[in-house]
Amino acid sequence: MLRAQSVLTTLAAVALLVLVGLPVVFILLQAVFPDFARGSFAGAFSKLAILTENDRLLMQARNTLMLAFSVMFGCLVFGLPVGVLRGLFHVPGARIWDVVFLIPFLIPPFIAAIAWMMTLQPRGYLFQLLGFDLGGFLFSFAGVAFVMTLNLFPLVYFAVSRALEMVGGRFASAARVHGARPVQAFFLITLPLSIPAIAASLLIVFAMSIEEFGTPAALAARTGFDVLVTGIYTRLSDWPIDMSGAALGSTMLMAMVLAAFALQNWIATRRSYISQMGKPADLEKIDLGAWRWPVIGVFSLVALIGVVIPLAAIAVTSLTGTISGGLAWSNLDTRHYVPLFQKGSRATQALMTSGWLAVVTAFATAVIGGLVAYIVVRGTGRGRAVMDGLSVLPNAIPAIVLAVGIILAWNSPFLPLTLYGTAGILLIAYIGILLPYPIRYAVARLRQISGSLDDAARVAGATQMGSLRHITLPLMAPSLIAAMMLVFAIASRELVASIMLAPAGLRTVGTFVFSQFEQGSVQTGMAMSMVAITITSGILLVVNLWLARQGSSAFSG
Amino acid sequence: MLRTTAIVASIGLLGTMAHADTLTFYTAGPGGLADALAEAFEAETGITVNVFQGSTGQVMARLEAEEANPQADVVVSASWGSAEDMHARGLLMEYTSAHAQTVPDFLKHSHYAAQGVSALAMVWNSQSDVPRPEEWSDLTDEVYRDLITMPDPSQSGAAFDLVAGLEAAMGDDAWNLLAALADNDMIVPGPNAAALNPVLQGAKAVVFGAVDYISYGQAESGESIEVISPASGTVIAPRPMMILESSANADSAKAFVDFVLSDAGQALVAQTYLMPARTDVEGLRPGISDLTIIDVDADAATARRDEIIARFNETVINR
Repeated sequence: MLRAQSVLTTLAAVALLVLVGLPVVFILLQAVFPDFARGSFAGAFSKLAILTENDRLLMQARNTLMLAFSVMFGCLVFGLPVGVLRGLFHVPGARIWDVVFLIPFLIPPFIAAIAWMMTLQPRGYLFQLLGFDLGGFLFSFAGVAFVMTLNLFPLVYFAVSRALEMVGGRFASAARVHGARPVQAFFLITLPLSIPAIAASLLIVFAMSIEEFGTPAALAARTGFDVLVTGIYTRLSDWPIDMSGAALGSTMLMAMVLAAFALQNWIATRRSYISQMGKPADLEKIDLGAWRWPVIGVFSLVALIGVVIPLAAIAVTSLTGTISGGLAWSNLDTRHYVPLFQKGSRATQALMTSGWLAVVTAFATAVIGGLVAYIVVRGTGRGRAVMDGLSVLPNAIPAIVLAVGIILAWNSPFLPLTLYGTAGILLIAYIGILLPYPIRYAVARLRQISGSLDDAARVAGATQMGSLRHITLPLMAPSLIAAMMLVFAIASRELVASIMLAPAGLRTVGTFVFSQFEQGSVQTGMAMSMVAITITSGILLVVNLWLARQGSSAFSG
Repeated sequence: MLRTTAIVASIGLLGTMAHADTLTFYTAGPGGLADALAEAFEAETGITVNVFQGSTGQVMARLEAEEANPQADVVVSASWGSAEDMHARGLLMEYTSAHAQTVPDFLKHSHYAAQGVSALAMVWNSQSDVPRPEEWSDLTDEVYRDLITMPDPSQSGAAFDLVAGLEAAMGDDAWNLLAALADNDMIVPGPNAAALNPVLQGAKAVVFGAVDYISYGQAESGESIEVISPASGTVIAPRPMMILESSANADSAKAFVDFVLSDAGQALVAQTYLMPARTDVEGLRPGISDLTIIDVDADAATARRDEIIARFNETVINR
């Protein structure tokens, strides 16, 4: 049965190389050879001067790290408590909270930034309602970290809740039997067992916050707060563009994320976090009892800040006739929704395109991601660490640079057949960009599942594929499903790679919204966002409730 | 994996089945204009136009990344310098449309011609409590303290042209003006839209150097803003339209360029509040002859780009 294993390994390796390795290689080539896109290898390394001669680089690198660590800390503050409660207790409406906390992923970061700006800036909605503004806070380092935290904290919530569901209360019960107090048992036993999941989600948060451009650009550029990615985007923001410089900047981000990955890996593998050994155990969640209302209060507070306020700002903006008219009943106007529903509107086409792209991407990333995770944790051979490392890179590369890499790789005149110029190239890009989610979630999950379960199945006569299908896959399913929902949410509104890669004539939700903003119709852009968010969260809610009805039997193969 | 591949392959086939009579058009915003031009052209000729619309930076990055295997036939950018640069690299096809006769000489070239023209202006929120400014230098007044925004010249080619133009017209006084604005707490939040948004809601009162046609359109849709073109002079940003030398559909591409410069095409351009490139087509807003235009030597300004941006950053952003 070694064959099955090597077939799987080859499949996983090929998928990763094509989806991630190929664009990365072309980005590196572009960084080294400034005229690479024109087919010339002249002037190798001539762009390195921008690293040595740029006196702001160190400051930008320091700012980038400061921001990333602040956002990681913020995500723990926002995501950990609700994640722990969701994982260990019967929280009323648990499935609905899951969907509510997916909503931040449905809002494109640049729209979230504008929504917060229009709420908190001087004469913004807060001022119009209550007579004071928080512009000083928003347009500062703290404001950027705050808004980015709200975009990303659900990553921690989902990782922690799924990990703790698996750990359950029984290890804590054992500790209690041995005399530990409940708090002690939680902090010494239960929480540490979910460390791989926490570390994995924080790694994605780290990568996403050093790569994210929209929020720092919208909120802190005016205070002179520069991050590394600012320089990358400035090189590509207007003519003359400097692709080589942008590619070089991106390699620095990749290096940072690889360092973070190594650290995360060290934390997650230096001891065993196995909590699923196959012993029959009661994984029933604990009833909250009298704590029911305070817990609902905590969930509501997080939802209010992270979801309700930005969503309300988007909804209100989409329903105002003019922005300068502000919050007045006379300014209430649905005219910005009209062009969306007109006959032959490109909005419908964009919604359909994004819809099927997001569904296919969710399933494809789950299959490829689950496979890669399985090989990385359970496989043998030296390539595993490389595969694991490769899989975090897409999050570190600014999407516009990754898109350039994909064009360079897939638009080569030497390819007899290419997906470039078709919608298929968007799938390649989405799957590549979003693979880190299922891989990180599934790797963390597998590190909690004892390999002896596989061995037992094999002893009992199952083939390797059989034990994968009947034992490992069902145990991985909750994490993969959580990751699929994240992927679906993000893919449904992906912007930057879509703009660069969509074949001329094809629109997605993200490019539609962006082109509205370009034309100066902020409200129509917000209206389209509202429509897309409503449809997507509706779909996620239905799927989630359906899964709840199926119970665990849905995953038993 | 196999199923994914099959789906991907089927989609790929759908894409390549597009029939021969199609034209690929890459354009900087506004997107509504690109779609309107494409639809009207298709109605007239039966040739399908596939539009890719992005910012000038995105259009140029895509063109450059595709250079080994170009996809576009016709390109419109918001930066005149980009056309000069592409022509110098031999990427453009020589073509002068018959309709270009009434396009003034400084808006056309043997290989490209303006689609439309925007100018840079001040945009003032009339509901703000500050007086209506008349001149660039009015904004150094204390009443505008902390109420001015400006697009970033390193992210907006038009804002760069304004800085270069003011320098050409005023010499070192341009830098004194910018320094005084910086002393008056002017913010430089990013590209054009980022500078405009705070003024719309009233967080700030005036944009120094906004691309004017977008704001004319917003004022028309009811926003309480006014576009002010200083009498002392401003710069214009013509939007070059060009055919790529590599185009396999040269005839269709030429027909499209003809259409954009025709009466019907220029009327669509005018509806977006851009100035039409042709002097004999009426615009919906003040035209080139109504403005005092500062003449900028584009080549010289481009050659000094890094220097000018560095000085701007030193004077305004990181002072």
